[in-house]
Amino acid sequence: MNDFASLRVLDRFKSVFNKLNIDYDVMRKILQLKLTMDSRRMPAIFSGSNIKKEGNQFLKSLWMYGLFGILFLVPFLFLGNEFLFSLTIMFSSLFIILMTSMVSDFSAVLLDIRDKNILHPKPISGKTLNAAKITHIIIYMVLLTGSFVITPLIVSVFKFGIIFTLLFLIEIILISSLAIVLTAFVYLFILRFFSGEMLKDVINYVQIFLAIGMAISYQLVGRVFQIVNIDITYTFAWWHMLLPPFWFAAPFELILNKDFSIHIIILSLLAVLAPILAIAIYIHLMPTFERNLSKLQSDTNRTKKRRRILQGIWARILCRTKEERTFYKFASLMLKEERELKLKIFPLLGFAIIFPFIFLFNTLSTGSFEEVKTGNSFMVIYFSLIMIPAVVQMLEYSGNYKGQWIFYAAPIKNKSIVYSATLKASIMNYFIPILTMLSVIFLWIFSFRIFLDLVVVLLAAIVLTLISYGIFNKGKFPFVSSHEHTQTNSFFKVFGGMFAVGIMAAVHAMILNNPFGLPVYAVLLIISIFIGWKLMFSKR
Amino acid sequence: MNAKKVLSLKSVSKNFGSKQVLNGVNLDVYEGQIIGYIGPNGAGKSTTVKLMLGLIDDYSGHIEVFGENIINGDDFYKKRIGYVPETAELYENLTAFEYLSFTGEIYGLSSKEAEERAFGLMKEFGLGGVFHQRISSYSKGMKQKVLIIASLLHDPDLLFFDEPLSGLDANSVIVIKEILAKLAEQGKTIFYSSHIMEVVEKISNRIVLLVDGQVVADGTFEELRRQNQEGSLEDIFNQLTGFTEHEEIANRFVNLVHGGSGNE
Repeated sequence: MNDFASLRVLDRFKSVFNKLNIDYDVMRKILQLKLTMDSRRMPAIFSGSNIKKEGNQFLKSLWMYGLFGILFLVPFLFLGNEFLFSLTIMFSSLFIILMTSMVSDFSAVLLDIRDKNILHPKPISGKTLNAAKITHIIIYMVLLTGSFVITPLIVSVFKFGIIFTLLFLIEIILISSLAIVLTAFVYLFILRFFSGEMLKDVINYVQIFLAIGMAISYQLVGRVFQIVNIDITYTFAWWHMLLPPFWFAAPFELILNKDFSIHIIILSLLAVLAPILAIAIYIHLMPTFERNLSKLQSDTNRTKKRRRILQGIWARILCRTKEERTFYKFASLMLKEERELKLKIFPLLGFAIIFPFIFLFNTLSTGSFEEVKTGNSFMVIYFSLIMIPAVVQMLEYSGNYKGQWIFYAAPIKNKSIVYSATLKASIMNYFIPILTMLSVIFLWIFSFRIFLDLVVVLLAAIVLTLISYGIFNKGKFPFVSSHEHTQTNSFFKVFGGMFAVGIMAAVHAMILNNPFGLPVYAVLLIISIFIGWKLMFSKR
Repeated sequence: MNAKKVLSLKSVSKNFGSKQVLNGVNLDVYEGQIIGYIGPNGAGKSTTVKLMLGLIDDYSGHIEVFGENIINGDDFYKKRIGYVPETAELYENLTAFEYLSFTGEIYGLSSKEAEERAFGLMKEFGLGGVFHQRISSYSKGMKQKVLIIASLLHDPDLLFFDEPLSGLDANSVIVIKEILAKLAEQGKTIFYSSHIMEVVEKISNRIVLLVDGQVVADGTFEELRRQNQEGSLEDIFNQLTGFTEHEEIANRFVNLVHGGSGNE
């Protein structure tokens, strides 16, 4: 086990802990163990990438938070001296990022039920155990928040002087504690009224959201600085009382701008009192929380059968044999219910929705809306197809990959139909819904004239699915590999996928001006789908 | 014996790299037998089962299931087999209902049949209330019961149970034992491997002992006892595997616990 730098810092406070009747040596050992375990966990911020699970990924992810600090906090410091406006935006951004990373990466710390089984039977006092848990959270929080706010803090010294920075520092401590407690409250609420499975789903979706946000943020960098020059004056409304970012912006107004109006004072008081109150309630509810944690492994709220009628109908239409229909239903369930798979695939789907619009906005910024409307920039929809090769490749993985013995033990007549069914399921569950959504928006922008083009795009997506399968998937069955052994040859794959999409788009662009081109092309695509599918999945 | 031959292994050998796991196994199994397949850890028990199921291939020798060489036949013979793997691994993100109707359907049941049968069997095991909950929320014993149900849904003629009782409570063990006996009465063949000698001794009507990839004993419990003049199956097991130093090991172990050096 490593000797962590954070623990060496903690050693300086040894006498404080001992004075509080906490067995420091035992606590240090627990923390050392926990930090070692943490270093083997993958933070969600990296989940889209193929980094191998070695070294402390959390520490390595800290530079990302540093970058976030520069991107999402620093610009707002330049919004002028109307603090209640500029700082409210900044604290909102701070709050959102803290909460999301807390839910995605911290849940493992907050929701660790192994403590109960492993540590509680050992002769360690309850006080020491709690101290270890709280210190563990604090170490995390200091590292995360620290790397997040370090640059804004330095910038603020030069921009507004030392008093501002000190106030900022104190408030960050308050905000972080509020964020921890609120996260715990959300968990408590879900565990109290729903089931552990539901909570895991919520955490899963927050992780997905974070991964998508991460990618979009790169695209937004330029635009964030564009709004910096906007000049807005702040007017108070009563509902601002309900929003924490306003509370934390108010003290700056109070102390630095010497604004002593009543609403500023109330907001400032809230900034101090709310976190303290929240912590008090949290400590009070801690036993309830621990008790409810045992519900984490439950799925009590589902006792009724979920109707999946639509799935059955599609299975009947799309699959010829009963065997294939069975696997179609199975694959659809996996695509909807497998959390690890969703964590990998959903961000890709998110990009697929967003990328076309990013490129569309770029064209908008050079030409007028009318020009865009009548032009051919709807072709940017092809950017969403880039995700298909990556998604098809992901179908091989599952968190429950060890369940795969069933594929070998069962009497499957034609083994290749398992993949055929899975591809059909991913087209129906992922690709078509997304393309339909994009198409509706595009039809609204570009009018009905591009309908046939969109049909062609959809057909191209299906062809691409088939091509990607042919290129990438060497395995016999889907859902049989562990995510941990993901190979890192993504460059070739992404490039190959883009190349294939590029060819599809180029062909489409070439026939755009030929009146008969499109229908003929569509028919050709349909025929090649049928023939290709037959060839690819004929009995091997 | 006039019963039909269900399984036949002739000088089956298998090696993983340089490690020889099975070393010329010969075995004939007839309809209605409950075979207790025992042996020390790493003797090749699970490998034998996996070979017969076609989960692993590339072996030498001859394996026949239902009178057909599994190498040239299609996978169709698997339809009549039920399998409980050693490790309780299933697609846990699904509910028991979803998982069981999936497995039932790949073994040829209609989805309605699979659902009804699965629900009935779950109810008998006291799991009716969690039928629509995700398997990941189940305890180890509950997962094991789901696996057992999954292996029986399609009414197979041949059962491969690899440590089927792990994680089950004493009452469930009694139920399973009874079920196995009843199934054998109906002419089903059960190939059963376990480390719990008392259970094997009670339910098997034939015991096969595998040591270092070879069959070293084969017969009813009474036959084995006569040959080896030992009381319980546990003693026979110890004798045939050449394991006699359990007392010395225990002594050394306890000494180490006391803080001694391990040597007496």
